[in-house]
Amino acid sequence: MSAPAIEFTGVSRWYGDTVSLADVSFTADAGVVGLLGHNGAGKSTTLKLCAGFSTPSTGTVRIYGDNPRRNPDVYRRVGIVPDHSPPWPFLTAREVVELSARLHKVPDYREAAARAIATVELEPAADRRVAGFSHGMRQRVKLAQAIAHEPDLLLLDEPLNGLDPTQREHVIALLIRLGEQGRTVVVSSHVLHEVERMAPRVLVLVNGHLVAEGSTAGIRQLISERPRRVLVTADNARALARELMSSAAVDAVRISDGAIEVETSEPSQLSRELPAAAGRTQSLLRLIRPVGDDLESVYTYLHDRARGQAR
Amino acid sequence: MILPVYRLTLRALLLQRRTIMLAVVVLAPVATSLIYALARPGGSDTVDFYSGIVQKLFVPAVAALVALVFGVSAFGDEREDGTILYLVATPQPRLELVVAKVAAAWTASLVLLVPSLVLSGLLGLGSAASLRLIGWPLVGVVLASLAYCAASSWLSLKTRRPVVIGVIYILLWEGSVATYAASAAKLSISAYGSAFVAHALPQSAPPVAGLVPSALVLAAVVVLAAWGAARSLARTELP
Repeated sequence: MSAPAIEFTGVSRWYGDTVSLADVSFTADAGVVGLLGHNGAGKSTTLKLCAGFSTPSTGTVRIYGDNPRRNPDVYRRVGIVPDHSPPWPFLTAREVVELSARLHKVPDYREAAARAIATVELEPAADRRVAGFSHGMRQRVKLAQAIAHEPDLLLLDEPLNGLDPTQREHVIALLIRLGEQGRTVVVSSHVLHEVERMAPRVLVLVNGHLVAEGSTAGIRQLISERPRRVLVTADNARALARELMSSAAVDAVRISDGAIEVETSEPSQLSRELPAAAGRTQSLLRLIRPVGDDLESVYTYLHDRARGQAR
Repeated sequence: MILPVYRLTLRALLLQRRTIMLAVVVLAPVATSLIYALARPGGSDTVDFYSGIVQKLFVPAVAALVALVFGVSAFGDEREDGTILYLVATPQPRLELVVAKVAAAWTASLVLLVPSLVLSGLLGLGSAASLRLIGWPLVGVVLASLAYCAASSWLSLKTRRPVVIGVIYILLWEGSVATYAASAAKLSISAYGSAFVAHALPQSAPPVAGLVPSALVLAAVVVLAAWGAARSLARTELP
């Protein structure tokens, strides 16, 4: 049996007192894998370790069963799109991609570079210097240099950053296609809906911990199942709160400064029952607003849930 | 596959603004020789003047500084802007990458140093100029600058302040300690470079070693520094 494209075993990475990655284990093989998490969650560290740009403090990282830091030959099968490193500004896009293909030992590197440039739709600007490129164009140069040697494993750190909507669609379609071809494509992002469009499998990182792993639909389900809090302002708040407490959709009710904070695991049911309860108590609803529904709260919930602290 | 990396690095080094500053540095011995040629006192020894320029200014300061800056920039600039990732993420052997980088830094150094030394020689020596008087110092500069380039490339992968450490080594160790203590000169790159100068020009102090031992020491510095740099490149934390 051949070794998986990526194999993390008990990997931790810390810088001084800061833990960037804590005891992370996973494997990745053919298909698109989304690496999801907020800024500073450990996504870039994970990709750096995959790419061999960093060494784990503890644990092991294997790429096709090998350590890329010890055996650079592994890079024949790996393409990398770093987040914060634009290619050499004094080279043209074509020179960058040809250089990459050549260094990856592609026999007909000019032809390979032309193909990659066409794939990312950069042909009109191919002979212009990277220095004059927009952020989106640089992203496409980075992508072209990463795919020119047709790698089996593609590591992309926030590849959609700086792209306009049309380019995003194009890149997403390209990554899906590469995944369907049997390549392993690891894409980091902090935007869930972006990841779920291209990645059937998602790894969620929060504060360096791998807090959820599985199908995109499964992660979406986990997120939708988390308790929600809704702030309700109404005229007859106390009566409405009492009425809501009898509802099966409501887990808890608190009143503070005349506003009702409702905790529910069934937000859809609550949205149906709340107007009815208001009608029964003759309360005029003035405001209904979700609390803590931002992405950060979702990650925090997944983190707490993974550590058995979520309510 | 050294050639594309060599070309890329050479282009990057020669295009940087620092090269203009270094060009000013290499003009110093030329300007001094020009002033001497224009206002030469009657009966002065042109060989003595040229010997002083080469041994006190060119080898220990100008060549050392230029090679240090180019050697550090070969890897240092790419580490800073992250472009080094595009080289490291390739199946190229690390030693080959280092050799290409050091060769590019050396070439860039020679582009500035060789014309400067030759011009200084022609202007300073005047009618006394000969292939021997200019050629041997040139060999010393060429070999010493290679050793400086290799050592500073290694330094740029080992520390975050390679230029500061390099300048301290050049000014404090080579320029001060090694000039007073003969044993300290054995750890001075410029002292071994000066051994070639001494073959053609009069020296105030005996050379630290003969031509062959000096060449061997400089070669050993290059090999060890390149090996160390390749090792560091495989282990260093990249951006």
